[in-house]
Amino acid sequence: MKSYMRLRYVLLLLIPVFILGYIALQWSKEEPGPKRIIVGVKALDEIEFWRVLIEGVNTASREFGVDVSVVGPTQEIEVDLQIQLLEEAIKQKPDAIVMAAGDYNRLVPVAESIRKADIPLIMIDSAVNGDYAQSLIATDNVNAGQKAGKELSSLLSANAEVAIISFVRGASTQIEREQGVRSILEQRSGTEIVGTYYSEGKEERAYDITKKLLLERPDLNGIVGLNEPSTVGAGRAIRELGLAGKVKLVGFDSSVKEVKLLEEGVLQSTIVQKPFNIGYLGIKTAISIIEGDKVLRNVYTDSVVINKDNMYTEENQKLLFPFVEE
Amino acid sequence: MMAPQRIKSIQSRIASSFMMLVLFTALLLIFISYRLSESAVRETAESYTSELINQVNANIQTYITGMKDISLATMNNPNVREYLASADELQPAELAMLKAKISEYFHSIRVSRKDIASINIFGAGGTFISDRADAELNPYIVLSEQPWYRQAKENKGQTVISSSHVQPVIKGEYRWVVSLSRELSGVNSSNGLGILLIDLNFKVINDMLSKLDLGNRGYVFVIDRQGRIVYHPQQQLLYSNLKTERLEQVLQDKQGGFVVKEGGASRIYSIKDTDFGWKIVGVFYENELVDNKKQMQLSFAIAGLLCLGVGVLFSVVISRNLTRPIKKLQEKMTEVEKGNFDIRVPVGHSREISGLARSFNVMVLKVKELMDQIVIEQEIKRKSELNALQAQINPHFLYNTLDSIIWMAESKKHDEVILMTSALARLFRASLSKGREMIPIATEVEHITNYLKIQQMRYQDKIRFTLDMDRELYPYLTLKVLLQPLVENAIYHGIKNKEGPGTITITGRLQDDRIRFQVMDDGIGMDRSKVETLLISTGSQHSRNSVGIANVHQRIQLYFGAEYGLRYTSEPGAGTNVTVLIPAVHPDEWRSMEGDVP
Repeated sequence: MKSYMRLRYVLLLLIPVFILGYIALQWSKEEPGPKRIIVGVKALDEIEFWRVLIEGVNTASREFGVDVSVVGPTQEIEVDLQIQLLEEAIKQKPDAIVMAAGDYNRLVPVAESIRKADIPLIMIDSAVNGDYAQSLIATDNVNAGQKAGKELSSLLSANAEVAIISFVRGASTQIEREQGVRSILEQRSGTEIVGTYYSEGKEERAYDITKKLLLERPDLNGIVGLNEPSTVGAGRAIRELGLAGKVKLVGFDSSVKEVKLLEEGVLQSTIVQKPFNIGYLGIKTAISIIEGDKVLRNVYTDSVVINKDNMYTEENQKLLFPFVEE
Repeated sequence: MMAPQRIKSIQSRIASSFMMLVLFTALLLIFISYRLSESAVRETAESYTSELINQVNANIQTYITGMKDISLATMNNPNVREYLASADELQPAELAMLKAKISEYFHSIRVSRKDIASINIFGAGGTFISDRADAELNPYIVLSEQPWYRQAKENKGQTVISSSHVQPVIKGEYRWVVSLSRELSGVNSSNGLGILLIDLNFKVINDMLSKLDLGNRGYVFVIDRQGRIVYHPQQQLLYSNLKTERLEQVLQDKQGGFVVKEGGASRIYSIKDTDFGWKIVGVFYENELVDNKKQMQLSFAIAGLLCLGVGVLFSVVISRNLTRPIKKLQEKMTEVEKGNFDIRVPVGHSREISGLARSFNVMVLKVKELMDQIVIEQEIKRKSELNALQAQINPHFLYNTLDSIIWMAESKKHDEVILMTSALARLFRASLSKGREMIPIATEVEHITNYLKIQQMRYQDKIRFTLDMDRELYPYLTLKVLLQPLVENAIYHGIKNKEGPGTITITGRLQDDRIRFQVMDDGIGMDRSKVETLLISTGSQHSRNSVGIANVHQRIQLYFGAEYGLRYTSEPGAGTNVTVLIPAVHPDEWRSMEGDVP
C-alpha cells in the first residue's frame, strides 16, 4: 500500500515534468543552425557578370539565413585553380555546393566526387558533360543565342557573311550560345558563317582576332560576340577600322565599355543575362534540395535584348549598368 | 490518469488536488506571461522598425532639402542670373569668366557635400556649366529627351525629384543618381533661361538602406509617386517576376502600414511618406521580430518546471503534515478497538485535530470508566444471585434436618434430638457469620463438622468421615459454606447409592501462599463426562447439588481469580476426589481489600 502511494506521487510528479520537458524540447530543437553552402564561380571579380551574380547569392543567403562562402579564381581561364578550389570545398563537407563550371569536360571529375561525397550539387550558369547536377540554373543559352541570331539577322541584308567570336573552348555556355546563333543564321538564305574564333575570354585577343578577320575579309557583314570581352574586343576593332554601323555587331552581357559601344553605334544590340537571378535562384534551389523538396532539373532565367533605344528604361538600367562598383 | 475512486486517502487527495492546481496555474501563468512578453517584444520591435524608417526618412529628407537649398542658392546667385539672362549680350571672354566663376562656385558646393554627385546648368542657348571645368556632354545623348529635363520644363520653375536612374549626360560617366531638376526662369520672360540639374549620389541612399537591419529577411524599399522603384534590394527579382511586391497596396495605403499573411509567415509593411512624394517602406517578417524567442520560451519552460517541482514537493509535504495527526488518531482508535483503553492521544497543533484528539481522549476515558463500572455491577449482580441460590439451599437442608429431628422425637430418641438440634443450631451460627462472605477457616471447619454430624445422624452408620485440617490454617479466611456443597455432593451422589457404609475424608493443607482442601469419598464415583459438566455454570435443568458445586467454583474464581477453584477427579466405582484451591488470605490483609470491594 505504501509503495503504491509513493508510485502514485512519482507519477503525478512525472506527468507535468514530462509535459513541460516535451515543450522545452520542442522549442529547443527547432533551429539546428544555419546551412553551409559553398559557391564555386568561374571568376570572382574580373567580370561584372560574376559580381552581380555573387550579389544575388548574398541576397539569397541573407534572406534564407544560410551560411554561404564564394570561391573562385580571378580569371575565367584558370580552370585548374577552380578545380582545386572545389576539391577543397568538398573536404569542408558543406550542405550543398553550387558551381559554375569553367569547362564543360574538365570539371566532370570534380562533379563526380561532389556526388560521391553525397553533397547536393547545383550548377549555375554553365554545366558539365554528364548528369551530375540535381538542378541547373542558367540562362537558356540556346535561346539567348537564338535572340542574338535573330537580332543580327534583322540588321543584315540578304546576303551576308557572319563571324562568331567565342570565348573559352569547351564551356557549355559558349557551346549552347553558338548553337543558338547558328540555328538562326544557318536557316537564313544566303548567309555564310565564316567561322568561330576563340578569344579565351580576353578582350585583347578578341580585338586582335577581329581586326585580323576584318582586314582579311572586307565582305564581312556581321559579328556575334559570345561574351563581354569578346564583344568589346570586336567592337574596338570595328571602331578602330571605321566600320561602325557597317559591320553589325551583336554581343553578350554588359559593361560600361559595351554601353559606350552601344551609344556610339558600334554595338547594335547586346543580349543581357540576369546574373543576379541566377545567383539568387542557385542558393534558393540549393536550400530546397537540402530541405528535401523536389526541384526542377533545369531552371532557365531569361535574357534581354538591349539596344540603344531601350538601354535607359527603368527595367534595363540595372541590368546594363553596374551598381555594385565602389 | 488514475480513476478518481482509487484515490482514497485524504493525503493523496490533497496532494493530487494541489498538484493539479499548481500545474494549472503554472501553465496558465507561463502562457499569459509568455504572451505578454512576446507582445511586449513585438511592440518594441515594431516601434524600433518605425523609428528606423523615420530615421531613414529624415536622412533622405536632409539630402533632398540640401539639394533644394542648393537650387535656391543657385537661382539667386547673381553670376548665374547674369550668365543666363545676358548670354547674348556679353563678350565671349566675359562669358568664359562668368562660367569659370559659376563652375568654381558649384565645385565648392559639391566638395562640401559628399552626397552631391554633380551640379550642372543647361542654358537655353545650348550653354552648359558643370561643377567640373573639364566635364563634357555625352554627344550621343539628346538633352531634351531626358526625363528630368522634360519634367523640369513641364513644371515651370517647380523642383522635380526623379526616381533613381543612370545619368548619362556627362561623357564617360554613367552614375546612379537621383536628380533634382528645375527650370530657371527670367524676371520678365515667360521662357525659361535654362535647367538646373543637381544629381544626388544614389550610392549614399543605397548604402544607407542596404545596411539597415530588419532581421534576416526584412528590408527597406523606396518607391516614387508613380510607383517606380527608387530603391529595392531585390529589384531584379521583381522585374523577372521571381518576386512580387505589394506596390499597388503601398501606393494606396494611408494608414502607415499593413500586414500581409502568406502561408504561415506574415510580413509587416511599415510605410512613411516623404515631402517630395517618395514612400519609404520597411518590410519585416513577424517571426523574426523576436530574436531571442527561443531563449524566452526556454526560460519560461524552465521557470515553469521549477515552479511545478517546488509546487509538487510542497503539496506532498503539506498533505503529509496535514494528515499525519489524523493517521495517528486512526492508529490509536484501532488500538482502542482492540480493547486497550489506557491510551492517550497527544494533542496536536492544529485546532481541529487537537479538538478531535481531546474529545477522543475524553471519550476513551469515559468508556473505560463505564466499562469498569459495568464489571463491578456485574460482579455485584452475580454475588447477589449466588446469595439467593445459597438462600434456597439452606431451607432445603433445614427441612430435611427438621424432618429427621421430628422422626427422632417421635421415636423418643431424646439424646439424638438434642444432639442434632444443637448441631443444627451451631451450623446456622457458623453460616450466619455476621453476614460476612469471608470467614475464618476455623468457623468453616466447625460448620462442616456440624453438617457432617447431622448427616451422620440422619443416615445412621452409613457415613463415616475423617477431618484432617492443619491447625495453622484456622486463622486464614475462606469463603463461607465452601465445603458443605462438596460434602453434600459426596453423600448424595457417591455414598448414598453405595452398598454399605462410605467414608468421606476432608483434608486441609497450607502450601506456600495457597490453601488446598480435599474432599474424598469412596462412593460410586462418576464417569468422565459427568465430571466435565460438573463445574459448568448453573442452570435449571441441573440437579440442586451440581448447582451448588458450580456455584462454589464460580464463587472462588469470582473472588480470587481464574487460577483458583475446584478440580474433580473421579472414576466409576473408585470414588470421587475434589480439590479446592484458594489463596491463603490473612484476616488483616482481607480487611484492607474488603474496603475496596463493596
